[in-house]
Amino acid sequence: MERLLQYVFDGLSFGAIYALVALGLVVVFRGTGHLNFAQGEMAMFCTFIIWQINDWGVPLILAVIIGMVFGFVLGAGTEATVIRAVAKKSAGGVFVVSIALFLGLNSLATMIWDRAEGYTMGSLFPNQPFDFVRILGAEWRYKFIGVLAVALALMGLLFLLFSKTKFGLAMRSVASNPDSARLVGVPSGVVLASSWGIAAAMGALSGALVGGINGQLTPSLMFSVFIYASAAATLGGLDSPGGAVIAGLSIGVGEQLVAGYIPGWIGQDLKLSVALILIFVVLLVKPSGLFGSLKVERV
Amino acid sequence: MLKIKEGSLQHWALRIVGFTFLALIVVYIPTQSETARIGQFTSAFTLIIAAMSLNMVLGFTGQISLGHSAFFGIGGYTAAILIRDHGWSPGYTFYAAAVIAFVVGCLIGLPVLRIRGSYLALVTLAVAVLFPTLLRWKKLEWLTDGAKGIDSVKYDELPVWPILGELKGRDGRAVFAYWLGLLVLVIVYLVCRGLIKSRVGRSLIAIRDNETAAAVMGVNVTRTKVLIFGISASMCSLAGVLATLKTGVVTPDGHYVTLLGSIIFLLIMVVGGAGTLSGPIIGGLVYVWLDNTTRGIGTDSTGVLGFLFGWTDQSPATLILGLALIVIMLFAPTGLVGILRKLTRRILTVTPSLSSRRTVREVLQRPSR
Amino acid sequence: MTFLKTVGLRASYGQVDVLLGIDIDVNEGEMVVVLGANGAGKTTTMRAVSGTIARSGSVIFDGQEIVSQSAESIVRLGVAHVPQGRGTFSELTVEENLRIGAYIRKDSIESDIARWYKTFPRLEERQNQRAGSLSGGEQQMLAIARALMSRPRLLLCDEPSLGLAPLITQELFEVLKNLNEQDGLSVLLVEQNANLALKVASRVYLLETGQVVASGSAEAIAGDERIRKAYLGG
Repeated sequence: MERLLQYVFDGLSFGAIYALVALGLVVVFRGTGHLNFAQGEMAMFCTFIIWQINDWGVPLILAVIIGMVFGFVLGAGTEATVIRAVAKKSAGGVFVVSIALFLGLNSLATMIWDRAEGYTMGSLFPNQPFDFVRILGAEWRYKFIGVLAVALALMGLLFLLFSKTKFGLAMRSVASNPDSARLVGVPSGVVLASSWGIAAAMGALSGALVGGINGQLTPSLMFSVFIYASAAATLGGLDSPGGAVIAGLSIGVGEQLVAGYIPGWIGQDLKLSVALILIFVVLLVKPSGLFGSLKVERV
Repeated sequence: MLKIKEGSLQHWALRIVGFTFLALIVVYIPTQSETARIGQFTSAFTLIIAAMSLNMVLGFTGQISLGHSAFFGIGGYTAAILIRDHGWSPGYTFYAAAVIAFVVGCLIGLPVLRIRGSYLALVTLAVAVLFPTLLRWKKLEWLTDGAKGIDSVKYDELPVWPILGELKGRDGRAVFAYWLGLLVLVIVYLVCRGLIKSRVGRSLIAIRDNETAAAVMGVNVTRTKVLIFGISASMCSLAGVLATLKTGVVTPDGHYVTLLGSIIFLLIMVVGGAGTLSGPIIGGLVYVWLDNTTRGIGTDSTGVLGFLFGWTDQSPATLILGLALIVIMLFAPTGLVGILRKLTRRILTVTPSLSSRRTVREVLQRPSR
Repeated sequence: MTFLKTVGLRASYGQVDVLLGIDIDVNEGEMVVVLGANGAGKTTTMRAVSGTIARSGSVIFDGQEIVSQSAESIVRLGVAHVPQGRGTFSELTVEENLRIGAYIRKDSIESDIARWYKTFPRLEERQNQRAGSLSGGEQQMLAIARALMSRPRLLLCDEPSLGLAPLITQELFEVLKNLNEQDGLSVLLVEQNANLALKVASRVYLLETGQVVASGSAEAIAGDERIRKAYLGG
C-alpha cells in the first residue's frame, strides 16, 4: 500500500511536468493549428538562460521569472518573424521550421554552454535529504510537492485565461476562423504571437522545474520530457487542455506503476515504450485523441 | 535566352551531353579521388536513397513520417544479422531487407495512416523513439546484441565485378561500396520515377492535394497510402543495408537509426525540393558537403568563420543547417531544385510539343498547385 | 451627407484585376444595394471597403480616408462586415460568437446580447450550442447579430439570402429594413435576389466586370426596361 502510494505520488509529480509541456503544445495548436516540435528545445534553451542569470548572482526565483519573460519574447518573436511568413506559404512548412528550430536551438545551446558533464542546477524548493513529509507512509519530498503545486496552479490560470477572459475568447476565435476574427477587430497577429509566447514561457518554467528535480542541466534536458509530453498531448487530444493534463498525469503515474511492479520482464528501458504503445492503441480507436475534437474538412 | 522544342534534335543533343557529363563525374570520383572522398559520396548516396523514400510518402503523398529512421534501422540490422549469424552473401540481404521492411511498413501503415496531420507526425515520432529501445530490449538481445550493437559485419571476399577490375583492401572496399551505392540509388530513382509518372503517381498527388476529393474521384485512398508507405519503407531499408555494408557496424545509437536520422532525411528532402524527383539528390549532396566542410569550423577558424564561430569548440554544422532550412522555407519553399529551375529557365526554355505522347501525359498529371 | 464614398476603388486577386475603379456613395441612414452577376466584383467591393483585401484608390468613411487601414482598425471606426458564407466561429458557442462580436467595445454588452436575442429568438434557444451545429438560416442570423454587437454605424452585408429558404430570407430582410428605418443604421447590401433587394433599398448600383454600369434610385432602376430584362427576369 505504501509502495503504491509512493508510485502514485512520484508519478503525479512527473506527470505534472509532462502535462505542463503538453499544455504548451496544446496552446500553440489551439491558437495557430501548428505543431511546435521545438517546444522542448525552447524550454531547454530558456532553462540555460535561467541557469546563466542565476550563476551571475541573481536569486533563482527571480531568474526563473526573467527566463519566462525571455521565453515569451523568444516564442512570440519566432512566430511573428518566421512562422507567420512560412504559414502563408504552406502549413506543412511550419512543422519543418519547428524541426529546424529544434536542431538550431539544441546546437546553439551546445555551442554556448559546452561542458560534457553539464551544469548544476538549483531547485526552487527545499531539496535536502530530510526535506520531506511522510503522509500515509509515503515520502512526499518538498520539491515534488512544489512541482505539483506550481504545475496545478499554472494549469488553473491557463484554464481561466482560456475560458473566462476576453483574450482567451479572442485566441479561440482566431483559431476557429482567422478571417472573421479580423472582421470583428481581433488583432490576430498579436494573438498568434502571444500563444507562441505563452507556450514558450510555460516551457521555461517547466524546464526550470525539470532542471531542479534532476539537479543537472545539459542540452538533452527536455528531450525525453518532450517525448512524454507529446504522447500526453496526442493521447488527450491536441486541442484539449483538460485532456493534456489528464493524459500527462496518467502517463506519469502509469509509468511509475509499470516500472515499479513489472520490472523483470519489461524493465526501466521499456517503460516509455509501454506508454507509446498504449497511445497507439488509443489513437486507433479515436484518431484525434481521447478529448480532442475532429475538425470537419471542406473539399 | 535559348528556346528549343521538346523532342527536337537540339533537345536530344543537350540531353546526351548532360548525361555524358554526369557519367564522367560519376566515373571520375572513384578512380581519381582519395578514399575518404569516395566514402563521403557513398554516404551521400545512402542518405539520398533514404530521403527519396521519405519523399514518396511526405513529398508526393503528403503524409508526415518521422519514423523512417526505424526502416533504415531495419535494413541495417537485417543485413548485419543475416551476414554475421547466418553467413549470407551481402548481395542477397538487400532482397531480405526490402521484403521485411515492406511488411513492417504495411503493418505500421495500416493503422497509422488512418490518423492525419499533426497526430500522424506525433505517432510516427513514437515509432522513431520506440525502435532503438526495442533494439536495446533485453529479451531481444539474442538477436540484436542489445545496447552495444553488432560491430563485426565482415565479408572477406569482395564479389568480382568484371568491369571494376580487381578490388583489394580498404581502398577496394570503398570503391566497391561506392559502385554498389550508386547502383542501388539508380534503381531506387528509376522505381520512384516510374511510380510518379504512372497512374499511381497521380493518385498520390491527388491524395496530397485533397484527400477527400481524391477519394471521391475514385482513388482507393487507404490502399494507396498503405502501399506507398510499404514501398517507401522498403526503399529506406536498402539505404540501411548500404550503411551497414559500408561501415560494418550497427548500433541502437547509430546516427540514422534514431529520431535524428528521420530529421536528417526530412532536412535533405526539404532543402533539395520536396515533391520533386531530383530534389533528394541535390539535397543529399549539399548536406554531406555542408556537414563535412562545417565540421572543422570552430576555435581554429580564421576570417569570417573564425569571427562568427571562433568562440566555441563545438561544430556549428547543425546550427547552420537549421538556419539554412528556415531560410529555404522562407524564400524558396520549392527547395534548391526550384531555384535551379528558375535559373535555367533564364538561359534555356524547352517548349513542350503536344504531339509527343509523353508530354500529353505530363500535362495531365501536373500537380494542381 | 455622404457617409461612405469610394473613388476609383481597384483590387485584384494575383494577376487578375477584379475591380477596375468603383465609385459608390452611401449617405447616412441610407440602405444601398449592389446588384450584378456572378464575378462582377460585388463581394470584392465589400472586402475592399472592410479591408480584407489589398486595394487602391480611395475609400472615405465619415470623412476619413481608410483605404490603407487594416480590417482590425476599420471595424473600430464603425464599419461591420457580414461576409459571404457567414463566417461564424463554428467551434464557439452562439453566445461566445456574440461576445467576440463586441471585441472592440469596452462598455457593458449584456443589454446588446439581450436585444439581439429578442430580435432573433432562435439564437437565444441555441445560445450554448456550437455555431457549427446551427442551420444555414440560424448561422446567417448569428452572423448579422455578431456584426451588430460592435454597434456599427455602417453595416456591410454580403448576400444574406444565399442558400436560404424564401421565408427565412424575408424574415432577415425585415430585420435589416427595421434596423435601417428605426435605428438609422446605414447599410450597404450585396444581393443576387434583385426583386427582394429593390423592395428594401433606396438606391442601387449595378456592377458588371468590375465597373459600375448603372446607378439610381430603386424605383428608377426597377422601371428601366433593359435592366429589368437583364437582371430581374422580365
